[in-house]
Amino acid sequence: MNKPTIAVFKFSSCDGCQLALINLGEPLLLLSKLVEIKHFAEAGPLDEDAKVDIAIIEGSVSTAKDIERLKKIRQNSLYLMTIGACATSGGIQALRNMHNTRQWIGDIYANPSVIDSLDNSSPIKDHVTVDMELWGCPVNQKQILSAIRSLLFGVVPKDENDKVCLECKRQQNICVMVTKNEPCMGPVTRTGCGALCPSVGKACYACYGPAETPNTHTLANRFSGIGLVNDEIARRFWFINSGSKPFLLEGRRWKTE
Amino acid sequence: MKKTININVPVLARVEGEGALELTIKNQQITDLKLRIYEPPRYFEKFLEGRNYADVPDTVARICGICPVAYQMSASHAIESVFGVSISPWIRNMRRLFYCGEWLQSHSLHIHLLAAPDYLGFNSAIEMAEQYSNEVRRGLKLQALGNDLVALLGARSVHPVGVKMGGFAKAPEQAAVDDLLNRVQDIKQDAIDLINWLDTLDLPEDKQDFISVALHHDHEYPFNEGRLISDNGLDIKISEFEKHFKEQQVNHSTALHCLFDGKPYLVGPLARLNLNKEQLPEKVKQIMQGLKTQFPSKNMFHSIIARGIEIYFAVLEAEKLLTNYQADDEPCMEFEVKAGTGYGCTEAPRGILWHRYDMDEKGCVEKAIIIPPTSQNQPRIEQDLKDSLIQFGLDKPKDELQLHAEKVIRNYDPCISCATHFLNLQLERDGITETSIKTLITPPHFKNIKLNKTAIIGVGSPVEGDDLGFQAIDCLQENIKIKQLLDKGLLIYKLERPGMQLSESIKKHDHVIIIDAMKPATSNQKVAWVDVKQLKQKTNPYSSHQLGLAESLAWINSSSTLPGDIALLAISEIDKDLLVDRILKCLQ
Repeated sequence: MNKPTIAVFKFSSCDGCQLALINLGEPLLLLSKLVEIKHFAEAGPLDEDAKVDIAIIEGSVSTAKDIERLKKIRQNSLYLMTIGACATSGGIQALRNMHNTRQWIGDIYANPSVIDSLDNSSPIKDHVTVDMELWGCPVNQKQILSAIRSLLFGVVPKDENDKVCLECKRQQNICVMVTKNEPCMGPVTRTGCGALCPSVGKACYACYGPAETPNTHTLANRFSGIGLVNDEIARRFWFINSGSKPFLLEGRRWKTE
Repeated sequence: MKKTININVPVLARVEGEGALELTIKNQQITDLKLRIYEPPRYFEKFLEGRNYADVPDTVARICGICPVAYQMSASHAIESVFGVSISPWIRNMRRLFYCGEWLQSHSLHIHLLAAPDYLGFNSAIEMAEQYSNEVRRGLKLQALGNDLVALLGARSVHPVGVKMGGFAKAPEQAAVDDLLNRVQDIKQDAIDLINWLDTLDLPEDKQDFISVALHHDHEYPFNEGRLISDNGLDIKISEFEKHFKEQQVNHSTALHCLFDGKPYLVGPLARLNLNKEQLPEKVKQIMQGLKTQFPSKNMFHSIIARGIEIYFAVLEAEKLLTNYQADDEPCMEFEVKAGTGYGCTEAPRGILWHRYDMDEKGCVEKAIIIPPTSQNQPRIEQDLKDSLIQFGLDKPKDELQLHAEKVIRNYDPCISCATHFLNLQLERDGITETSIKTLITPPHFKNIKLNKTAIIGVGSPVEGDDLGFQAIDCLQENIKIKQLLDKGLLIYKLERPGMQLSESIKKHDHVIIIDAMKPATSNQKVAWVDVKQLKQKTNPYSSHQLGLAESLAWINSSSTLPGDIALLAISEIDKDLLVDRILKCLQ
């Protein structure tokens, strides 16, 4: 039987989520025995137009060219999986969606006309059907391996969408919001990181995006209660996953012009 | 015989980020060479404006997944200097340990997964692992140790969360430190074996004249602090960087090019080692004495050995720091925010990473400037490519030229995510383009045409000598038959440097004919119709300004305000009759 095939594509991003594969170490060699890696530019294999079973996409759509490239990838793949905040919500560069980037290009580049850049940075799902999303900035090895492993076994990969708070309690961390008045995003943020920030005594900054049914409004009111001004509250929601709907809307409520 | 070779590498493999290479050779001379970075800009400096200092380390980390530590360190030192924080020896040591982890992981990744396959004849480390199992596994082990050292202080290796302005969020547990110390001690021999193995690689002989720039500290190999020095006499404070180093835009790259007193220069492992050899510990110097390769070196390909040497240094430094480790109750300094300007410059794995922040009295960023290593190295890479390909021999077959060019580029470990934050080689030897656009078999014909909603646009950049599009417009305006159409409302005009201007112009009309200078591969005709869609799919420009053309056409396509029809006429020489004939057939 032929081995299942995968391809890894990069759009606008920092390369950090591909590292979840490149940093695997020994399991990367094992993975290359379980599946055939058709395209993965950073690791070497190049075949952008190959038909594959699983297409893994890192990065957000931010140029006109991206959209056409993406449509082709969708046509060539059986399953399409997005990895990381950029691909699933537009990422940190979606912060530009709130600004006039034409003006910015003018500020940064002496000859703006040669720069191809859309006004918005958008997630992959805005343009093509996405079968599965792995959240996180960055995604970790466990997430990506368990998703690929599940698909190889022919089962639907598990979608972890609990709140960070639950994981934090399991780890018996001391709550940074209750004890230190830190504006922790844990109550509305998707688990998966292992509650890293609270475990080192810092407030969660929601790099894994919104959890299921996030009560953002109550949390934002609480931030107001511990002394954050409106603009600071907006910035808690408008950071790594500002393009996700719950965070986008909550930020808008507090943003002062 | 006149011969033109065009090498076009549209996606460069085994580099971090997206880039391409275009190369034209005419009569055994390189007439055009561009390392094109097309990864879109990500505007980090703008995102930082208005943000509180506390958000800065977690924001700048996102510029690069491979060297987030470097971004966090340069930013922390810059902003701490504004607030007047002087860090404790414990924090200073832990920052060095944190950096050891990043060098280990990044250098091991580059040597084994990105560069070594080039010298051993493989396409990837995965292929290489069959034959060089021990070497690849040793590399992965070093890489893993680096990641775990970063995670010791940062809780994870990519975008670590443990950094706070003033220090670290939490001191590591002694048990975790002891565990890593054991692993570091176990890996020392692996690091020595790695250097000796790298010294046996068949690296090209390629001496070049270049300027090395790096941080320099009197008693230590540089990580976080020091003066900026060069091998041609520079010796300045990091705050004086802007006096000598200037960024400028080049049209073929979304990464700005940085020049040192107007000249290209090198940053990174080779530059560091060339300038700081004396600061290495005795044990490293001893190993270096036994090598075939000696430093300082002017052979850029010795970078891979410099990386190996820095890996051994990082292992020894980590051993020292972990051995002397004592948990500290104060992993972070206390401070008060102040307004002012601060500078930070640290040695990222790929070279100096310079930051400047203007902070307001509330501790928020007013303005940020970030100059990553890759934008500093980019002009040097282009210069190196020219010199290196000439030494290699421009008469070599295309495949060999392409591989050599890719080797040269990969050798710099360019991080394109950083620089825009790579390679598609387009080679042209004396007019023969091997990858090129095809002409249309059926010429376009506009249906239901209204002349008053139709335009013919000639595009070009006369300054760069690309004025065929303009000449075509002049010819058309003189033609009697075309003049009659002008009276009926047809518009004819010239447009310099297409870009967004072109898309704005196109939107105004129902039907548009664009005339541009380009040479289709499948036609000897001087004037030929080409498929607009085909052009859009290509990532490389075919004429000096076409980047703007292809991309603005793609942009128009993605927006809802599409005109009825766009036809693209490619001209390589002015043939008046053919030009008029083609235009009239399309319009009638």
